[in-house]
Amino acid sequence: MTDGPGVASAPTARRGAGSAVLTGAAVLSAYGRGTQALLSGVLSGRPAFAPVQRFDVRARRVRFAATMPGSPELLTEVTAAVREACDDAGLSPSDRARSPLFLAIHGDPAIARAPEAGQPGLGPEAFTAAVARGCGLAEQPIRCYMSACVAASTAIADAAAIIARGHADRVVVAGGYLVDCDQFALFDAGRVLADDGQVRPFSAGRRGLLLGDGVGAVVIESGESARARRAPPLARMAGWGRTGDAYHPCLPQPEGHGMARAVTAALQRAGIEAEDLGYINAHGSGTGQSDPAETNALRLALGDAVTTVPVSSTKSMHGQALEASGVLELIVTLLAARKGMLPVNAGFLGADDRCRLNLVLGEPMAATAEFAMSLNAAFGGANTALVIGLP
Amino acid sequence: MTPLAPAASPGLAALHAAAAAAGLTVTSSASWPETDADGEVTALAGFIESNFSPLLAEVAGRALRGRDQPQASGTVTAIVIVTALGDVTSAARVATAVDAGERVFPLLFFQSVPNAVAGYLAARWHLTGPVVCVSGTGAGLDVAALLIDDADADEALVVRVDLAVTEGDVDRAAAILVTGPADRERP
Repeated sequence: MTDGPGVASAPTARRGAGSAVLTGAAVLSAYGRGTQALLSGVLSGRPAFAPVQRFDVRARRVRFAATMPGSPELLTEVTAAVREACDDAGLSPSDRARSPLFLAIHGDPAIARAPEAGQPGLGPEAFTAAVARGCGLAEQPIRCYMSACVAASTAIADAAAIIARGHADRVVVAGGYLVDCDQFALFDAGRVLADDGQVRPFSAGRRGLLLGDGVGAVVIESGESARARRAPPLARMAGWGRTGDAYHPCLPQPEGHGMARAVTAALQRAGIEAEDLGYINAHGSGTGQSDPAETNALRLALGDAVTTVPVSSTKSMHGQALEASGVLELIVTLLAARKGMLPVNAGFLGADDRCRLNLVLGEPMAATAEFAMSLNAAFGGANTALVIGLP
Repeated sequence: MTPLAPAASPGLAALHAAAAAAGLTVTSSASWPETDADGEVTALAGFIESNFSPLLAEVAGRALRGRDQPQASGTVTAIVIVTALGDVTSAARVATAVDAGERVFPLLFFQSVPNAVAGYLAARWHLTGPVVCVSGTGAGLDVAALLIDDADADEALVVRVDLAVTEGDVDRAAAILVTGPADRERP
């Protein structure tokens, strides 16, 4: 739509002086409930895609997604994940009652079929309040993010930034998307789903994305708060960046300038150099235009380190969880870094010259990743980069 | 063309109040409907079936054109969309088509999330800051303040859209452009 904004005009990222740490995590994916199921799944290298059974897809061009069995209910699953993350963090009832919830969702799944008069009661804030109530979290302030595929990663960045500035001691961040007939129909109509039933990020012959179930929750708190509770951090929220492409309603800026600025800001806030990164879980949607743009962004932001930092897109296994992607993929990144095993970039058929990265291929890679990055991009040219550091 | 009373734009009043609470300075603002000439909003190419995106683009354009000073070169502007329910009109259209076994228009895919029109705005007005969509006005201005404080943006365009959901109501939208005050803490 335009020639793009160029890489200039990126201000130097600032942050508050405080530290932010992750002290609890919980997740659901097509591999099942729990972090161990997810870690085992992505380290198996076997994608979770299968023909959709949850709803009728006979009229669709593509019939694959990564789903759990049955028809899990979003409010139930998000509430369970938030509760489990709080348990994982060892939060007492009084800790929970003082913790706000930032929730990333598309909206209440019921709203599209509700009579008009009932729609106001089915807004995302009502949904978020119900989750908070069900988990004993503070019912005010709550915040709902609906920024598509960067909703959860933006919520995580905001939570870390708020805590670093001392504006809050703790925030619980969650995201949820369960593959549904409406979004499936929209993505099918948009002809972005992979008709070969596999997601092949950065690969020659890639044919698009596939949707996947994802519900995740993390507890982010100040280092001081975690120490006071004697809660061992799972990782530090070391850095974060969010930017816009100023290019197009739904296409990424081809040269990756916006994403490059997000990566640079995250590295600046983390106080590290590109070569300090031990792993990048890329956005890697597996679509024709997004993967080369992201590759260009990484080449711009990482410089020579782009040839050595291991990269994979775990969407190649658990699928695209839309608003929940950021939290699902941060948890994957966290689990991989803590395990010292990096998941493969599945579905790879062969090199694409426009996507030259140091991809993890074939087998998971044993590696020490003291710092790891998770990237997300969305419609509207929104980009986010999150950096975690092992404690 | 007669300006409407401030009571016709509760969204704009709420944005101003939230900006003040967040310690932000409003440099421009606009609303819909703003005058009695605001009947049908101008269509926006590529966006169909719903007024959500056209309204958002209209009030955002008014606020951006209404700046006291032209945008300085290199200014990074964030886009923060505030909406209580999102684009319920588009969501209902998709659900109806799916339930009837009808074809879903591909264009509805592109406008299925509020980010899409933010991408249009960003390209049209060269806004290179973060794109965020949240559900509450207070949250939206808090996000704007955080982005400015942390130098993710120099200013933020905050746009609120409330589509009519009950009989007799009208679609409303409001937009403000905010920046941090000169004496704002800059650690």
